Amino acid sequence: MCNKHSEIQQNPSHFEGSAEEKVTAQHVQANFMDYIKDMKFFDPHIHMTSRTTDDYQALADAGVVAIIEPAFWLGQPRTGLATFKDYFSSLVGWERFRSSQFGIKHYCTIGLNSREANNEPLAEQVMEILPLYLYKEGVVGVGEIGFDDQTPAEEKYYRWQLDLAKEANLPVQVHTPHRDKRKGTERSMAIALEHGIAPNMVIIDHNNEETVKSVLDQGFYAAFTIYPFTKMGNERMVEIVKQYGSERIMINSAADWGISDPLAVAKTAALMKMKGISDHDIKMVTYQNAIDAFAQSGQINVEDFENNTVIDQSKTFNGNTILRGGQQPRIDKNAIVIR
Amino acid sequence: MTSIQHILLSAIEATANEKELEWVKTKSNSDVKAIQIAFVSAPRFIRKVAIRIDEKVLHEAVPDWQIEEWTLERLVRVYLLLHIPSDQSEEYVKNIETLFDTAEINELVALYSALPVLSYPEKWLFRATEAVRSNMGVVFDAIGFGNPYPFLHFSELAWNQLVLKCIFNDKPIHLIVGLEKRANRKLAETLSDFAHERWAADRKVPAQVWRLVTNFMNDTILADLDKLFQSNDIQNQTAAALVCSETTFPGAESLLENYPQLRASVQKGQLSWKQLEVHQLCYV
Ligand SMILES: [Zn+2]
Repeated sequence: MCNKHSEIQQNPSHFEGSAEEKVTAQHVQANFMDYIKDMKFFDPHIHMTSRTTDDYQALADAGVVAIIEPAFWLGQPRTGLATFKDYFSSLVGWERFRSSQFGIKHYCTIGLNSREANNEPLAEQVMEILPLYLYKEGVVGVGEIGFDDQTPAEEKYYRWQLDLAKEANLPVQVHTPHRDKRKGTERSMAIALEHGIAPNMVIIDHNNEETVKSVLDQGFYAAFTIYPFTKMGNERMVEIVKQYGSERIMINSAADWGISDPLAVAKTAALMKMKGISDHDIKMVTYQNAIDAFAQSGQINVEDFENNTVIDQSKTFNGNTILRGGQQPRIDKNAIVIR
Repeated sequence: MTSIQHILLSAIEATANEKELEWVKTKSNSDVKAIQIAFVSAPRFIRKVAIRIDEKVLHEAVPDWQIEEWTLERLVRVYLLLHIPSDQSEEYVKNIETLFDTAEINELVALYSALPVLSYPEKWLFRATEAVRSNMGVVFDAIGFGNPYPFLHFSELAWNQLVLKCIFNDKPIHLIVGLEKRANRKLAETLSDFAHERWAADRKVPAQVWRLVTNFMNDTILADLDKLFQSNDIQNQTAAALVCSETTFPGAESLLENYPQLRASVQKGQLSWKQLEVHQLCYV
């Protein structure tokens, strides 16, 4: 949930860089695959529910082998518990299956998002069913939770969910607000510590230059959401890695129903490569750190995606190739004849 | 302990390590809420290793239930379901339905796998047909293959949907329990229509589906068989020869006489449906 609709209004071009940066951006856009051959990526924040199968295909082609889909706001408020339930179920069911058809391992985090925490009667009901989902296979954390408008209701459910995370021994994926970000981020961290949660179990998301130092200094993971052709995706992210190194830093696309790019992680890796960041550092921020952070859930088995496996449960469950549920046949979009 | 609980527990004991067994025993003797959470969280405590099961004993209790390819965690989940108290039908159904409603993929697989041994079998009919409608391959497979529930409880309409969807998705129909016993006229006619559509699109029909028309022949299907004979595809020809030799429909015998080599093969017992039971089907 990245609230980009407001940004869309403010920045219709979605590009804020200099002329020089624009040239770089265009170069990356056209040639990024040349720079990331043999690289593997793990996108720890992407809302595939809002994306098409073409995006899955593109992710697979770009080397994204595993993803985490945090539970979020769908663009308009839900009005009943049943739609929440169906949404959570789709994150552990249909979406997981859809992803597996492209050989991408799909994990999710489950939580009540900050925006809808403000509908208290509904929020109470959602809290009732959360435990049924948090213990499920492949649920790697509680998320994305935290502050949006920084209301008392948001705080109440943030605290409550921190306790659930602690009880289930799950990492927490924290959405930080776009307005009043620095204070909101500090407050999110302080409350997590107050609830006795170890900072290495918390991934603070949507960082920028103003927040990153404090997040890292206090021992939290710092995630960055990349919009590749705004300034953040270009020079800024590279500068952050140059300045802070690669420890406990991870990048994600947070692609959703707004203007966003599911290939942001792969493209940013290409840009880092162009800018001379070491392969080691690139791997840490686009793959390894996210795995290390969320594997603390006990729900990530790297063998499921490390060695280019095709399908997960089907193989484990049946050992019989036909029972895989059908890998998607590859369609040649350049062909004129459609068969 | 019921006999089926006993059989499954033996299989768990044969496979699980001490820690896993301890967990299973504790959880299966808990209250409903705890059993539900245990069902959900099983993969956190139970490995997905291949199980060992005495099939002979199992099939005396539940004929045709194919579980030998299950993993331990799937088996444990089904075992846990057998501990939800079933004396109050309404309460029982509600508890199982809650698990269905909130299930992820592998939980759905376990739930549908368990249908043959759940109480009140008639209560799960709608759910079972939902699995047939599922686009998730492994969920469909859980109801479709090695599972006697559809054979025992589906209406003809639901049964035919299961078989047709299986064929439509190029899945192996011979893994459906009771396939031959529940063959019916309506299904045979629909298969013929389906074949015409596929042929018009220049696509194939898996040869083994023709085993379902043997006892429900008509003139249209006889013409289909002729087409199979002329198709230059040994699998199609085998299927046509087998149907002709097995059916009593007038005209089938003389049709077969036009293909003396195939006729000789089928009479010598060299052809069988088994040869056409293909597991790995390509997208044709
Ligand atoms: Zn998000």
